[in-house]
Amino acid sequence: MWKIWMIAVREYWAMVGTKAFMASIIMMPILMFGGLFAVEFLKGVNRSQVRKIAVIDQTGKLFEKLNEAVVAKNAMLEAVSKVDEAEEFGKGTEPKYLLEKIDPATLDDELRIELSDRIQKRDLFAFVEIPPNLFDASAIPEPQIRFHSQGSTLSGSREWFQAKVNEFVVHSRLIDAGIDTAKVQAASKAIQVRSLGLVEKSATGKIDAQDKNELSDIFLPMGVMMLMFMVIFLAAQPMLESVLEEKSQRIAEVLLGSANSVQLMMGKLIGTVAGSLTVFGIYFVGAILLAQFRGWTGMIPFQLFPWFVAFQILGVMFYASVFMAVGSSVSQLKEAQSMLLPVWMVMMLPVFVWLNVVREPNSSLAVGLSFFPPATPSMMVLRLATGQTIPIWQPILGIIICLLATILCVIISARIFRAGMLWQGKTPKLSEILRWAIHG
Amino acid sequence: MSFAIELENVTKRFGKHVAVDGLDLRVPEGSIYGFIGPNGSGKTTTLRMILRIIQPDSGTVRVLGATSGATADDRLGYLPEERGLYKRMRVYSLLKYFARLKGMREPKAAIDHWLKRLGAEGWGRKRIDTLSKGMAQKIQFVATVVANPKLVILDEPFSGLDPLNLETLRDAILELRKQGTTVIFSTHDMDVAEQMCDTILMIFEGKKVLDGTMNSIHAQFSARHIRVRLDQPDVQLPRLLGVHSIQRVGRFYEFILSDQTRSDDIVRQLANQVTLEHFEIVKPSLHEIFIHIAHPGGNGQFSET
Repeated sequence: MWKIWMIAVREYWAMVGTKAFMASIIMMPILMFGGLFAVEFLKGVNRSQVRKIAVIDQTGKLFEKLNEAVVAKNAMLEAVSKVDEAEEFGKGTEPKYLLEKIDPATLDDELRIELSDRIQKRDLFAFVEIPPNLFDASAIPEPQIRFHSQGSTLSGSREWFQAKVNEFVVHSRLIDAGIDTAKVQAASKAIQVRSLGLVEKSATGKIDAQDKNELSDIFLPMGVMMLMFMVIFLAAQPMLESVLEEKSQRIAEVLLGSANSVQLMMGKLIGTVAGSLTVFGIYFVGAILLAQFRGWTGMIPFQLFPWFVAFQILGVMFYASVFMAVGSSVSQLKEAQSMLLPVWMVMMLPVFVWLNVVREPNSSLAVGLSFFPPATPSMMVLRLATGQTIPIWQPILGIIICLLATILCVIISARIFRAGMLWQGKTPKLSEILRWAIHG
Repeated sequence: MSFAIELENVTKRFGKHVAVDGLDLRVPEGSIYGFIGPNGSGKTTTLRMILRIIQPDSGTVRVLGATSGATADDRLGYLPEERGLYKRMRVYSLLKYFARLKGMREPKAAIDHWLKRLGAEGWGRKRIDTLSKGMAQKIQFVATVVANPKLVILDEPFSGLDPLNLETLRDAILELRKQGTTVIFSTHDMDVAEQMCDTILMIFEGKKVLDGTMNSIHAQFSARHIRVRLDQPDVQLPRLLGVHSIQRVGRFYEFILSDQTRSDDIVRQLANQVTLEHFEIVKPSLHEIFIHIAHPGGNGQFSET
């Protein structure tokens, strides 16, 4: 035990006591969650942007109404923007508009080309042709508005424009038909379906259900899964480098002259698990502080804590032992990376299917994948984090399966490790590695 | 006489390749034992079996009285060739780690002693990757001996050392022997082996081809190599029985004798027909013996042409 302990302590400090580790701790969340923050940031950029749209209104009736709608929208965005800055980040994301009236008498192909040039020069965002018979419901073919812009298919501006024009045209047609538009508006008012969780009795005795939102239902499970992923990655990668260093620098021979391969491997794994718990601790404290700052404390799933730690330890041991076996089989990091490609693919599996699992955490896909040992840690915490009822036997069985798979993986990896660490020269063939795995 | 290491008919195979083939070996306690042999001859495999890093396929390996097992022996110290240190660790932390792995709970005094002994005082805070090759080799040596092992195995301990550091390390090894430590080292430097080793073992293609004290090896090979000078240099040499080959080197003739021939037989045959001005039994260096045994196409036997 003394030797295992000594090896574990060294491995722990070799992992967490480096500048690279501290840099990884900071960089990893930026890389993984940076996309979300980038979207928020870009929304902020959009908010301050004014899109200029040239309108060629051949009906002579719509431009003023559209302009009024634009003025109202811009005023509303301005108001929301002020509230956002004071209260909450990320709302009021649509751009403001500025309409430019073009004389319809000048409309010809030359004008269209000229306006297109202005769009390319970013002087305009789009130009719109409104046909003269727009209000004629019986016209054949049906009148269409032409919205010209770069990437108009996915343009939110086109959708806004379409909604506003339809609103005015329908309104106009209703009036022409002698129908009371106020009554129609009242009758067609949409009903909201509020998203709520299950009804529970709180500690104070109050019976109520909590509001559900995108943040708690989608991003929280994803965040928990990504945390698991980050912790495993940050633990397994240094293990690979450590084994490679020990092999290439022939430290392994000195170590194996002082401790047997099982002691060496166990010490390294324990040190790595301790390092991974440190990573988790840092992120967990960081998450709590962030939640307190943002007022999301209620969203932190503290009940997940024991499950997360259990699955994390198993996941780290599983992947660290695989990385250790790979590291001991090769001589260079480059070779290790190509050998690890299939491992990465399996490791990334939950990342590809997480959205489906979050929507249906008890679907066959979700349940099946959560019993596939390499994916069990991430998938099980992802399912548990959705807050939906997962039968208790499933995470327990998941732990048992993962534990057995980890033990098997550690035994096989120890055999490969022992043989591989003494292997010098060219990279062994897969058949050779399999022979080590079976016969030791 | 008691032995630190006893190998009996030890064989180790890697697939179809026989790395060590029926090796018998006895290393007396407190001696300095040299392992020589060309690359790939089985030296490292033998050392790894002694260190219990690998197990033999057959035969017995007995080290310090204990037969082979899976557990590493804390009474052994091992210095691999050139490398074997964590580059990003500091000298003191590294030495403490290696000493503790050998079961030493409080290694500070031993570390300080050995750093001082090798002129490495004040290096404790240095990172390994800032050390020169010679400095790193000294630290590697300290890591090997700091836990006071009974048996020290050194793989090319003098590689890359300047003459001053070589002298320091050689003195330290001789001091270990004085204290009763058994030292095995493998080397390609035959002069060093000849100067330092009490006993030499040469392995060739997994088999022992040479094993004995320097005196016995010299006695074994020098009896077959004689050099003479005649008073008349251009006289025709008589026909001699029992001579394997003759080579003229300047005014000298060098005779390599056949296996069963004694040097005094040749001298008698020569003296009957010519006048000898000079006669000597040539003592081949270990280097020459090594080259003769291990030359390409050699069969592991001492033979001249």
